[in-house]
Amino acid sequence: MKSILTSVFALALTWSAAVAGDITLLNVSYDPTRELYTEYNAAFAKHWQAKTGDKVTIKQSHGGSGKQARAVIDGLQADVVTLALAYDLDAIAQRSRLFPADWQKRLPSNSAPYTSTINFLVRKGNPKGIKDWDDLVKPGVSVVTPNPKTSGGARWNYLAAWGFALKKNGNDPAKAKDFLARLFKNVPVLDTGARGATTTFAQRGIGDVLITWENEAFLAVKEFGADKYEIITPSWSILAEPPVAVVDKVAKKRGTEAVAKAYLEYLFSEEGQDIAGRNFYRPRDAKAAAKYEKQFPKVNLFTVDELFGGWQSAQKTHFNDGGTFDQIQNK
Amino acid sequence: MKISKYVTLAALAGVITLPVSLSAQSSPDAQQKLLQKIEELEQKLKVLERKQELKDEETTAKAKTTPSIVLGEKGFGFTSADEAFALRLRGVLQLDSRTFFRDHGIAGNDGFLVRRARPIVEGTVFRDFDFQFVPDFGGTTAQIFDAFVNYRAFPELQLKVGKFKSPVGLEQLTVDVETLFNERALPTALTPNRDLGVQLHGEAFSGRVSYAGGVFNGSGDARNSTNLDTDDTKEFAGRIFFQPFKPEADSFLRGLGFGLGGSYGSEHNNTSLPATTGGTLGGYATDGQQQFFAYNPATGVVNANGEHWRLSPQGYYYYGPFGLFGEYVISNQRLSRTGAAPLSSVRLENTGWEVTGSYLLTGETAAYKGGVNPTHPFSLSEGGWGAWQLVARYAELNVDEAAFPNFANPATSASGAQAWSVGLNWYLNRNITVKTSFSHTTFDFVNGGGTGTRAAATAPGIVARQAEDALFTRVQLSF
Repeated sequence: MKSILTSVFALALTWSAAVAGDITLLNVSYDPTRELYTEYNAAFAKHWQAKTGDKVTIKQSHGGSGKQARAVIDGLQADVVTLALAYDLDAIAQRSRLFPADWQKRLPSNSAPYTSTINFLVRKGNPKGIKDWDDLVKPGVSVVTPNPKTSGGARWNYLAAWGFALKKNGNDPAKAKDFLARLFKNVPVLDTGARGATTTFAQRGIGDVLITWENEAFLAVKEFGADKYEIITPSWSILAEPPVAVVDKVAKKRGTEAVAKAYLEYLFSEEGQDIAGRNFYRPRDAKAAAKYEKQFPKVNLFTVDELFGGWQSAQKTHFNDGGTFDQIQNK
Repeated sequence: MKISKYVTLAALAGVITLPVSLSAQSSPDAQQKLLQKIEELEQKLKVLERKQELKDEETTAKAKTTPSIVLGEKGFGFTSADEAFALRLRGVLQLDSRTFFRDHGIAGNDGFLVRRARPIVEGTVFRDFDFQFVPDFGGTTAQIFDAFVNYRAFPELQLKVGKFKSPVGLEQLTVDVETLFNERALPTALTPNRDLGVQLHGEAFSGRVSYAGGVFNGSGDARNSTNLDTDDTKEFAGRIFFQPFKPEADSFLRGLGFGLGGSYGSEHNNTSLPATTGGTLGGYATDGQQQFFAYNPATGVVNANGEHWRLSPQGYYYYGPFGLFGEYVISNQRLSRTGAAPLSSVRLENTGWEVTGSYLLTGETAAYKGGVNPTHPFSLSEGGWGAWQLVARYAELNVDEAAFPNFANPATSASGAQAWSVGLNWYLNRNITVKTSFSHTTFDFVNGGGTGTRAAATAPGIVARQAEDALFTRVQLSF
């Protein structure tokens, strides 16, 4: 009887081991990275199989960055997060302690393998003559941007506009707030994420201008045609640094720590950086950056640290309940 | 609805105002203004439509994270949106009557009884872990029947820990609300009931093979074990069952199943004797739940004292409304008796078998699991009469004659019983069933026994004094 039981347990263990052979990762990301990670995942899976012989399948989840961060905090089993802004990763670290608070130090470039900025997308011929942020507050101009409460991209948009207003008005926050109030008066609909806002503008035909990620603007022109849309680069914009991190506790529980870490590290490799550039993200690596230099227009950039004292401060002042965004919305 | 209202209004406005405007203001400038106005209106419409679209998306997304509440024929339950967590409240209530004929008041109380009254709490946590808790308030004492946690690693490999039915007897493993008669047949008295232990089980090859095997505290025949063990020894129990044509929907052999259950252990106390149903000593009872055999020697006390094994070849066949079900059971146990002379220890082999047939007169499909689902549930207003089923059974239980006279008193215990039963079951709907059946049981005796020789006032002899004829009814609520 004892030997029968031993055999049953041995069979059970062998069975479990065989089933556990396929590695699956879940990458919880923000809205406009679908195309980037579709290409990158295939490249990484090929690289990983060649290196280790293991087959890895990466599942993607996309949505507004803030919404995605909340889902992870609420228990979504992400092995890695690749979100729009550091604040959302800080929130995961602080509220759920799924990875340490100093997560930014674990990878090069503050764990942001690529950068981007905020541009405008207008309809072909630019019928409303939009050239800079000033033009977005004019009466009769309909502006499409997502909701900063749910979208990381929208928060970048908001801070880019605020930064422009500060620079134009001698760093006067009251004037900047008034500028944002006038801008949001021209926003007819607030989507929850950047991709939704692109749908509103490009597919539903709403609005005269879409404030969006640079990569999203390029992608829209590529997808819908240069005969339909134009990209406008404003005089000033913000340097966006979308960060990435391994969700330690989930990866440990699922036994995917090594592959999750390698997955993010490979973003900084030659191939990873090339894929980022190909998908209209600005690569960190000098070689890849030089390769795609002509693709990106020159723009004056400020950072969140320079103008807003970092993401924690920006979040508290502008996006937390009762912040400037709520104030201008409730006017 | 709101959007379509706006669209209609805008369209009407356009139709009414356009000709008037065009005729009244025909300059290019005026036309340009008009076109601009139309564009503005179009934008407003698009914005309204998009807002509605976003609202719908939000509602759909919200539905994906909102727990669902279910209230239906299978009970009341809550399930988390991702179905990883669930809680279900179910219940069983069986209200019976038993009427004994030609008993002249000497045995078998005619009366009503609450046979089972069980609230069932069950559910799932973290998707793969199921649990069930079932107390019973029927009979004379409240007790825990089922209390277990089951880990579903894969359908083929599951681990169950706690108190639940030991995997040996086919009829014993039938869900309590799906038995065809009020009481299970005689051979089931030789199989273990609920026991405490750990069991690996699962189904493989699309359900063609199912298995269960585990280690249990060990309990006597037909006993529902206590919540703790009273000795160091354990019992191994297992069952393998084949349904080779189960996945073949059109095969007439789809409902064929056969297998083998068994147990092996060592037991050393009186709780490892058969159940005391209908009496005060370990023994076996009739369909009317009256003890016809007990380990009741004239002197001394009987205890389990060593090896106990059981074997049960079993099978069934269901096709359309027809069902046939049978099993054979051997229970072989070593016993000892205090007050040594003339025999202090013996190995007894008790056996039993049964064949049960059923036919659904109203044409529903019969099956071993899942109960009967009436095509036309009973309803006076809608004219449905539920499902009607004829059932018939023959069963025997034979006690090893070596039990007499040192382990059982031939003057008061029968050495065997044979019972035939017929019945009519009425399934009003999935939740309410009314059962009626008649059972006739006769008894065998060893030398020295025999009808009329048992002490009239001593159980179980009083039971076996004559054949038992009993009428059973049941009103059952289960959900």
